[in-house]
Amino acid sequence: MAAPDELFCWEGDWGLPSVSTDCLVVLAYAQFAGAPLKLRKISNPWRSPSGSLPALRTNQKETLSRPSDIIIHLRKQKFNADYDLSAKEGADSLAFISLMEEKLMPALIYTFWIEPKNYVDVTRRWYAEHMPFPLNFFLPGRMQRQQLEKLRLLRGDERLEAGEELEKELYRDAVECMNLLSQRLGSHKFFFGDSPSSLDAYVFGHLAPILKCKLPNGKLQQHLKSLDNLTNFCTNILQLYFPKDGRESFSQKTSSQSEGGDFDHVPNKRRKQFLSALVALGAMLSYALLTGMVSIQHAHHEALEEPPDLQDIGSHHDHEDEGDG
Amino acid sequence: LAVTIAAFVPAEPWPENATLYQPLKEDQILLSDCASSLAVQAYLRMCGLPVQVVYRANAEYMSPSGKIPFIHVGNQVVSELGPIVQFTKAKGHSLSDGLDDVQRAEMKAYMELVNNMLLTAELYIQWCDDSTATEISRPRYSSPYSWPLNKILAYQKQWEVRRKMNAIGWGGKTLEQVYEDVSQCCQALSQRLGTQSYFFNKQPTELDALVFGHLFTILTTRLTSTELAERIKSYSNLLTENNISVSLSPLLVHSFLLSFPRL
Repeated sequence: MAAPDELFCWEGDWGLPSVSTDCLVVLAYAQFAGAPLKLRKISNPWRSPSGSLPALRTNQKETLSRPSDIIIHLRKQKFNADYDLSAKEGADSLAFISLMEEKLMPALIYTFWIEPKNYVDVTRRWYAEHMPFPLNFFLPGRMQRQQLEKLRLLRGDERLEAGEELEKELYRDAVECMNLLSQRLGSHKFFFGDSPSSLDAYVFGHLAPILKCKLPNGKLQQHLKSLDNLTNFCTNILQLYFPKDGRESFSQKTSSQSEGGDFDHVPNKRRKQFLSALVALGAMLSYALLTGMVSIQHAHHEALEEPPDLQDIGSHHDHEDEGDG
Repeated sequence: LAVTIAAFVPAEPWPENATLYQPLKEDQILLSDCASSLAVQAYLRMCGLPVQVVYRANAEYMSPSGKIPFIHVGNQVVSELGPIVQFTKAKGHSLSDGLDDVQRAEMKAYMELVNNMLLTAELYIQWCDDSTATEISRPRYSSPYSWPLNKILAYQKQWEVRRKMNAIGWGGKTLEQVYEDVSQCCQALSQRLGTQSYFFNKQPTELDALVFGHLFTILTTRLTSTELAERIKSYSNLLTENNISVSLSPLLVHSFLLSFPRL
């Protein structure tokens, strides 16, 4: 059997297998369709074959980036979660996916990347903590600029900035979209029948981050939690298809509570403290030596020369005395 | 102020002098704008709301959102089909009142499908396909202006559309893939329509207006290749959807056909 394709995606947190919507869509679809993928959860997009995440490296060494392309590829490999759908249901899938991309995605971008409090307190901090040195200094900022640019182009407004009015507009569209999804789902377990399809993967990918991530400005989360059927839909999928990730977050929460404080999240704390103390000591010593505040060899010389001086004076006096007498 | 007044006075009458603005019909307007404009005109006619069409070279700049078309009603200016539908609803005219919640959800989803796939494909073909952009889009877009403004505006618009395509992930698509997306979109619409005359309930809704606007324009506009029109023609039940034109004034259809003499 051919080697499985490799999927590179963002690491997970808050009880989710991944923090990025696109990665969640692909992961969920792969689980629904039973596709065996070699999972590589990384937090460094530069290590992905396409430079961005998610990325699928097929065994023909081809790299796919768009979630829709990855799903089409998996379908061609006979991993098709939409096999049982009727033609009309397939058409409805396409329509609702478009609805989410037009109405929900801009609000997601705003709430995670543009809203000032959310970005600084949660998003930037998460990416800076999880990315390796030295990417954590500039990459989150660059990603934020890219997302702002994307939102500007989507809205067709070059001078778009974070603000009350924009937030109200975007959230209104998102709330309407969530209501429509809730109406369509009704009391069913999945959108079409008893087994999940690609539409379920897309809905899960868009709603799960809103549901699980604790943001300072959580208006979207509030509204989502008021829609019981959508909340149950997400938790259901997490329990059924991603049980490990749910458990991981629970243990993480308890361990962080026992340690207390955010500083303990820094890995290799002792080593970093020791290294920084060493560097500081070394800097101070070299400064002292170079400016001459502390000079070891000179002090030695002066100590040897002083007694001869005293002796010279003493012998000079003696000679004088002898000279006179 | 006018909006708050409308909230208190039920169904403020539609004025006689309502106008719809779009770019110049003969030389300037492009496929995507023409489709959007026809969709709005069809919708207003279905609601029985009279509107006068005015052609202005700078219609795009006059529009509050930068998109075509926009309507000027009383002292309000509203652009794009979505907001215009809401505006007419506030005035008491609506085509989708008879739909239940699930149907309304589906209608909104299918309208977004058309915007997301069909309109984006039209923009891609117009501006990202080099031959179409050079032979048709850039000359038409900048026709009212003299050198060097025409060159600057045309390239600026092209650059803006290409950036948007990159941002939404369409930048890496080939023309063939875009035609595939159009086929997929038409297939979805065709499936939803089935054998009915309209998408919902034997009566036309804003979705019918939107689909009509796009399909009619694609079929009657000359591009560098006929691939797009051919793809649509293969979904025959969508073509007979154009029997909507029976419910519209024949004058509208006739005047539209006149504006595309090259077909």
